Amino acid sequence: MAIIETKDLVFEYIRRDEEGNVEGITRAVDDVSLSVKQGDFVAVLGHNGSGKSTLAKHINAILYPTEGTVWVDGMNTSDEDKLWDIRQEAGMVFQNPDNQIIGQVVEEDVGFGPENLGVPTKEIWERVEESLKAVGMYEFRKHSPNKLSGGQKQRVSIAGVIAMHPKCIVLDEPTAMLDPNGRKEVIRAVRALNDVEGITIILITHYMEEIIHANKVFVMDSGKVVMEGTPREIFSQVEKLKSLRLDVPQVTLLAHELRKSGLDVPEGILTTDELIKALGL
Amino acid sequence: MIRDITLGQYYQTDSVIHRLDPRVKLVTTLAFIISLFIVDNAAGYIIAGLFLAVVIKLSNVPVKFMMRGMKSIAFLLVIAVVFNLFLTQGEVVFSIWKLQITKEGIRLAIMMAVRLVFLIMGSSVMTLTTTPNNLTDGLEKILNPLKAIKVPVHEISMMMSIALRFIPILLEETDKIMKAQIARGADFESGNLLKKVKSMVPLLVPLFISAFRRANDLATAMEARCYRGGEHRTKMKPLIYSKRDFMAYGTVCVYLALCVGIGRMLF
Repeated sequence: MAIIETKDLVFEYIRRDEEGNVEGITRAVDDVSLSVKQGDFVAVLGHNGSGKSTLAKHINAILYPTEGTVWVDGMNTSDEDKLWDIRQEAGMVFQNPDNQIIGQVVEEDVGFGPENLGVPTKEIWERVEESLKAVGMYEFRKHSPNKLSGGQKQRVSIAGVIAMHPKCIVLDEPTAMLDPNGRKEVIRAVRALNDVEGITIILITHYMEEIIHANKVFVMDSGKVVMEGTPREIFSQVEKLKSLRLDVPQVTLLAHELRKSGLDVPEGILTTDELIKALGL
Repeated sequence: MIRDITLGQYYQTDSVIHRLDPRVKLVTTLAFIISLFIVDNAAGYIIAGLFLAVVIKLSNVPVKFMMRGMKSIAFLLVIAVVFNLFLTQGEVVFSIWKLQITKEGIRLAIMMAVRLVFLIMGSSVMTLTTTPNNLTDGLEKILNPLKAIKVPVHEISMMMSIALRFIPILLEETDKIMKAQIARGADFESGNLLKKVKSMVPLLVPLFISAFRRANDLATAMEARCYRGGEHRTKMKPLIYSKRDFMAYGTVCVYLALCVGIGRMLF
């Protein structure tokens, strides 16, 4: 059973001039059909303006399709009666950590979602505790979010989403504003959620290292899904990725160049260890 | 530096007063202020002063902190005293040039000064012992009956707490923009007042734009977390009265009765 499914999804941004006349239409998402299984770790890749964030906002019913349909756990996102159920089941983490933390104390922020859902007080505390533990931020529960690092803030945001007990979490470039250490922290927390709790993860990013752990990768370009497959399948096509203005991890690139110059190295090398093994060193 | 600015003037310590329900503290502060205007004799002010002294002692907040609030009203205090002293009609005690000081004037001036000082100290006790967050929660609960006449109580308190959360962030941002402008030759320091105000414009415009952008992001994030106003909402930290709070209410009632009884009737 697919937890997220889109069929012929189209979304258009309409620009209007001051009198309200249509100036131009931008197709941000163009005819996308994809399906994500429960428990998957999916990465969506694409350079700026490829439509990946717009696609993400459809899963949480923040945007509605211009054409086509999106289903979240069998619920159509255009169905207004289901709006709050959809937002509870598909949580969303945004790019800027400062602009999504509402509470003045870490634990209060994590409690914000359950409060909105009308969860009883006692259970809110249980949920807050378990969510903060799941992202390793429990000892910071009494801190002010302003004093945390970017990576820590982002983990608090993730805890805030987990406390709502979602089946799926959409992360819209959660690491774009973080330093390398913060990035690692966040990715580690996200992977743990996927492994331990079995929560479906949809990670939107343009950092290649982050998608290596995904089960499935979608590559988007000008609103369309242009590549789809496992990370290895994707990274086997170095030339195609380059034509989409995307980088490949350094090891993969090195392996690709070695292969081009005649060495017997398979395509789609993802880690240094793999390359060493393939070279028989 | 700018990150460490704490809002309001909460003094972090543990005391009976700190642990009281914010609603009790709000009501008490209001009652205290009213009492200051009920009493009109020395005995009444002594009672009010004693009450304030006991509360300050219980709150474990150093008196030094209480006095800080006094600086900001020093000017107002002087004006109030001077006006009352010289402009009250009555029995002349002595006169300098055209100004006359009357017996009634002295009495009024002293009363005014005591009132103002007590007023500021009384409200400082509240802000020093209650976190801004707690205060907003208390206000929301107290104003709840106003919902009946369509006052958006929950929304107001939500706005207040979001404002409190974002003030440090915006301060930091101001700092950043300021440095960026200084790096490109802007001058915020020199010149007269008008020039200084003018130099704020290139600071405020980007700050406003960024504040709106943040507001937009935050609204989306709140909606994504199922925020839909105050209805059906539960509280993580609900305000529940304990025995201590009822005792405090009782004390306040006794205090008010004393004020009315002694401060008004006798003399």
